[in-house]
Amino acid sequence: MTDDKDVWVFSEKPALQAELIAGAHQLSANTGGQVAAVVLGARSQAEQAFDLGAQRVLWLGELPSGRLVEDIVPTLVAAVQDKCPFGVIIGATVRGRAVAGRLAARLGVAALADVLEFQWDGSALLARHMVFGGGAVRIDRPLASPVIATIGQGIFETGSLQAQPKGEIEPLPWVEPPWQAAVIERRSRAVSSVNLSAAKRVVCPGRGVARQEDLGLIEELAQALSAEMACTRPLAEGLGWLPRERYIGISGAMIKPDLYLGVGVSGQAQHTIGMSESRVVVAINKDRGAPLMTQSDYAVEGDLYQVVPALIRALKARKAK
Amino acid sequence: MKIVVCAKLAPDASDIEVRSDGSISLDRAEWRIGSFDLQAIEAAVRLRDAHGGSVTALSAGPQRINHSKLRKDLLSRGPDELVLVAEDVLNGADTAVTAQVLAAAVRKIGAVDLVLTGEGSADLYFQQVGLQLGELLEVPAFNAVSKIEVKDSGVRIERSLEEETEVLELPLPAVLAVTTDIHTPRLPNMKEILLAAKKPVYEWSLADLELENAPEPRVEAVSLRAPRPVERKRILIEGSPEEAAQSLAGYLVKEGVV
Repeated sequence: MTDDKDVWVFSEKPALQAELIAGAHQLSANTGGQVAAVVLGARSQAEQAFDLGAQRVLWLGELPSGRLVEDIVPTLVAAVQDKCPFGVIIGATVRGRAVAGRLAARLGVAALADVLEFQWDGSALLARHMVFGGGAVRIDRPLASPVIATIGQGIFETGSLQAQPKGEIEPLPWVEPPWQAAVIERRSRAVSSVNLSAAKRVVCPGRGVARQEDLGLIEELAQALSAEMACTRPLAEGLGWLPRERYIGISGAMIKPDLYLGVGVSGQAQHTIGMSESRVVVAINKDRGAPLMTQSDYAVEGDLYQVVPALIRALKARKAK
Repeated sequence: MKIVVCAKLAPDASDIEVRSDGSISLDRAEWRIGSFDLQAIEAAVRLRDAHGGSVTALSAGPQRINHSKLRKDLLSRGPDELVLVAEDVLNGADTAVTAQVLAAAVRKIGAVDLVLTGEGSADLYFQQVGLQLGELLEVPAFNAVSKIEVKDSGVRIERSLEEETEVLELPLPAVLAVTTDIHTPRLPNMKEILLAAKKPVYEWSLADLELENAPEPRVEAVSLRAPRPVERKRILIEGSPEEAAQSLAGYLVKEGVV
């Protein structure tokens, strides 16, 4: 059986898989096919995919202990060659990128990375993504089939999808990988509990903050706003003041909160690409000519060391009322 | 240990010019070593210094990557030799084409134990080529590698995943894409810069790689434009810190975000 109109979605993160199912419906509406969830996990999770809007469920089973998610690549290759879907959309996590790249190489195609939007030009699919560190938007047209794409968290919204009637779960026969990595250890990163992309309000210090100990002041502001702390790349990678998962930008987190408040952030393209879709953007900066100041809804010109304490007092006073 | 480190030479994103119609010109951009590839070069050089062997830098792209300044820049960072596959048909090559050319070059270099790449290219940052390269070479390929230790006949690596660090052991040869925090890249000193001029540079054509024709592109770039700026209110708040803070707090309440 070939289903060259179907769109498959895979992510090892259930929340991301749910978003991808929603996004894949936009594609399958044009291809005239169905959305198939490729599920790695318990049978109950495979069944749940129908509730999330999948019309078909391809089940990889549970990952045997000591195996990596990436070990599904040979199985996916065989399944795609057998069933010939229109495309496979993969969640853009570290593991997802590894799966997508290897799958694409084996299928003789190039993966479209970090797609922000699909468009149709007649019968041709177009994919939009950011390049040059956020300085440019590129639209790509895949020339080969199947279409392999990675998509990050927060690009598609789940909400409006209807649950699909539970169908038959189609198991995918496991194909043993030719080589294997031994898993020695997994340790959770203490700092990584932050999920910036889910935060409604984000406070982001930049290089305008002079010393690491001054971050306490910014944290106090974040608390007053019930906001998550983020940062710009130099604070995480050059200075190491905050963990890597807190920086916003092309190689870091992509966020679209209700409120983004940048404190001493200049606003280079490689940073603003990560927050430009925030609903309300506020900048506090000494320099009214800083790029972020001119791309804000509210630009406060002033010394952050005076404005931030005043803002904390103002917010607390309003809360107390 | 024979190490190959792949680096993309590409126009510097900070030199992009936006034309009045929103299109983009890279004509005046300076070409540089990808900022995410410098860490891969550093990691390769440190592994060689600790375990012996050699480091071959490898880059594929249009003819302009074969430029004395770029060659010297790559070699002054520590690699022993440089292989360039510079043909204009590779200008704007997609990830699949790049991976195929690099795979052919790695095979021609021969008996390679380890291939390192950066996290992603500085211009496109698709983070795909290293993984495709590993698959084409039919060897283990991993991304987000933040630590590499040589162990017996293989390597022990750490990977920085979203929520955890994963420690793996794998056999060699392998292809590893390293994170930007694996090492701080060195600044070449005068001695290394002088030494760089004496190191061998091999210029291989696609024909040398037995790729009679350039690999077929799988993706066509239809357009490249400046991002459409998001419309913002652009309300400038001045005055004393107290006044500005009161005024901003008022706006935030009005916007329904506090």
